[in-house]
Parts: sequence; C-alpha cells; structure tokens
Amino acid sequence: MSLSSAPHWRSVPVDAIVWREWNDEFVVRNERSGSTHLLGPLAGEVLRVLLDAAEGLSVADIAACLDDGPKAASDSGLPAAIEEVLSEFKRLGLAESEPKPR
Amino acid sequence: MIVAELPQRELARRLGGIGLRLRTGPVVTRIQSPLTRIIHGVALHYADHLVEDSEGFADFHVRVAPPRSLRRWIGSQVHFHFDGTRPFLPLPADQAFAMLEWGLNWCVSAHCHQFLIVHAATVEKAGFALLLPGDPGAGKSTLCAGLVSRGWRLLSDELTLLELATGHVVPLPRPVSLKNASIDVIRGFSPDAVLGAPVHDTVKGSVAHMKPPTVSVRRAADVARPRWIVLPHFERGAAAQLAPLSKARAFMHLADHAFNYDVHGRPGFELLAQVIGGSDCFEFHYGALDDAVAVFDELARRA
Repeated sequence: MSLSSAPHWRSVPVDAIVWREWNDEFVVRNERSGSTHLLGPLAGEVLRVLLDAAEGLSVADIAACLDDGPKAASDSGLPAAIEEVLSEFKRLGLAESEPKPR
Repeated sequence: MIVAELPQRELARRLGGIGLRLRTGPVVTRIQSPLTRIIHGVALHYADHLVEDSEGFADFHVRVAPPRSLRRWIGSQVHFHFDGTRPFLPLPADQAFAMLEWGLNWCVSAHCHQFLIVHAATVEKAGFALLLPGDPGAGKSTLCAGLVSRGWRLLSDELTLLELATGHVVPLPRPVSLKNASIDVIRGFSPDAVLGAPVHDTVKGSVAHMKPPTVSVRRAADVARPRWIVLPHFERGAAAQLAPLSKARAFMHLADHAFNYDVHGRPGFELLAQVIGGSDCFEFHYGALDDAVAVFDELARRA
C-alpha cells in the first residue's frame, strides 16, 4: 500500500453491493442508495479492486492493481481515468475518500 | 364459463348491476358499467376470457360510468372508478373502452407487486418467451400483433409479469392496443384479426384494440421462460436487422422499463439478472412486418 499523502478510497461495504458482469460490462446495485448503475470495464475493475481491499487505496495503489491486468497495461492516462471514475463513484455513493494518512 | 357464452342481455345485466368478474391471467377484476360501448367492447375483445363466480373474490373493483351530477347532461364524459375512488380525469364518452383498458393496466402495474412488471409486449413460441420492451412509438405493439397473427402466442401487450420465484413470464393476454398508422398496418397484414372500432383524438392519437387470439387466452395458465430480449425500433422502409445488445445494457433497459423494480430491491435485481443471464439480447430495426416475422421465426427455429 502507498504511504503517500494522496487521498485514500474505500468502496461501500461489500454486503451493500450486488453486481453482475457480462463481457466487461457491469451492472451494480447499491443497497444504500437503492440505485442501479451501468459500469464500463475500467469502472467495474476499479470497484472490484476497492471491494477486495482490506483498507483504503490511493489512485496509485489502484493503478498498480489494475496494471496486473491486460486492460490497463502501460496506459499513461490510467491515473487520471481512475480519478475520474472515483469522482463518479463518490457522486453515486459507491465510494468515498478517507482523510490523508499522516 | 367464458364471456362469449353469456347472452348479450345477461352480459349487460351483470355489467350494469352486480358486475362482471372477468379473469385475465392471474387477475380477477369486477367490472361495472352501464355504457353500451363497454358492453360491446367487453363482448368483442374478451369473448374468450373466463367469467368467475359472481360471489367470488376479485382483485380489483372498477366501474366506467358517466358522472352522476348535472355534468352528465352538459358534456358526454366518463369516469374510471377504482375501489370507490376516481384516479384519473374523465375522458370523452367515445373513449370509454380505451379508458377501461388503460385503467386495467394501471390496476395491475400499480398493485400487482407479487410480480416484477416490465413495460413490454411478450410473445411465446415453443415455450420460449420473446420480450419486447420499448418506449411508446417504438413499434412493440405492432410487432406483437404481427407475431401473434403468425402463430406466436400472446403473453402480454403492455405488462409483462415476471414471477419472482422462477423468472418465468406469467401470461396476461388482453387486447393489443394499436395506435395511429399501426391500425391499418395490422388490418392489411392480418385481415382475420378482430379489431374494435378506432377512437380518435385520444392522448395517444387514434386507438383501436385487437382481440387476443383464442388460443392465447385458453393457455393463459401456461408460463414461459424468457429467452430473448429485443428492443424494437420501427423505421419506415428500414430493412429488418437484428443486432446484438450487451447484456448489461439490456439489463438497464429492462430495469428502466419496469414499473416496480424499486419496490423489489435486491430480489428484483437478482430476478432481472437471472432473466438477462438466460436470454439473448438484441436491438431490432424493422420497416415491414413480413420481414420481422421471418427474423423471429428463424430465431425460434434455432432455439
């Protein structure tokens, strides 16, 4: 895990999410908001990484996890794309940022 | 007993008095109306439907009738009554049967939460259901009427009832609502189809209802498994084209077109996921019913 001072992100608890994946597209129901969302490949993978994480993750942490997969390999725009996804997750109530670690 | 076995005078007596308990799929509705248009409309469109015992249970109690006040002499209007309330504004008297149909749709979509209810036409062949969700004007009722005129079984024109425990479609075979140009399209495509007289200047334009095929009504207890989800798009002159639609997008489309998806919460999500998971999903553009029927007959043949 990164020790940087960048914000760290957590998803809503795993039991508040129900989802299905078909061919790299995801439908996600957020039990807290009662809303259902359609997520593209990157957003779905980011959510999966956050749900699997035991603690909050920075954008760099998330990018490192995704770099293991073929979708994100050597994509220089990946951190910015993840930032965008996380902002959208915050708006939808799927994730929230934690205070920066000291 | 079915409606056609009731002498017209007895049908009028029940509708004008104690009410006609009419079974449509899993629903029994007690209908009351003194209006000739309702009596003729029920006799024509519901001829094959079961009449339940006059003392038996009814899910809904509805009445279509003119106002009792002096207004009945001023303008020719009718009200739809539901369990003693009037949930809608009155309509011109010539729209009485259409109002009954729209009112019955509302009764089901607003109350039958034992099902997940999707705004879709659904037809069946060989035990497999073809769901046609779509916005008004997309051509779903026209396509539905065309398919049932060529051997597909009508499960529903407007309201597709998905059984929560199984995901199966529970038939609700009622008249098919045709609008505007679709009325003449179906007359030309299926001269044997039984259509009521069109009423004009409704909120949906000109409307005529097509009587559901007898065999569809007789098999109203036979559920069917969803097999295809198809979003129809009618375009004048377009060649018939079936294009794959991703399951996730089809899921969102069904959820958006479900009347009570939010009521069911997580089980509703799981049910739709089951339906989508077991279905092939497409978008379908068409401009001629003959071509459309050929496409879906081929789809059914390969199933």
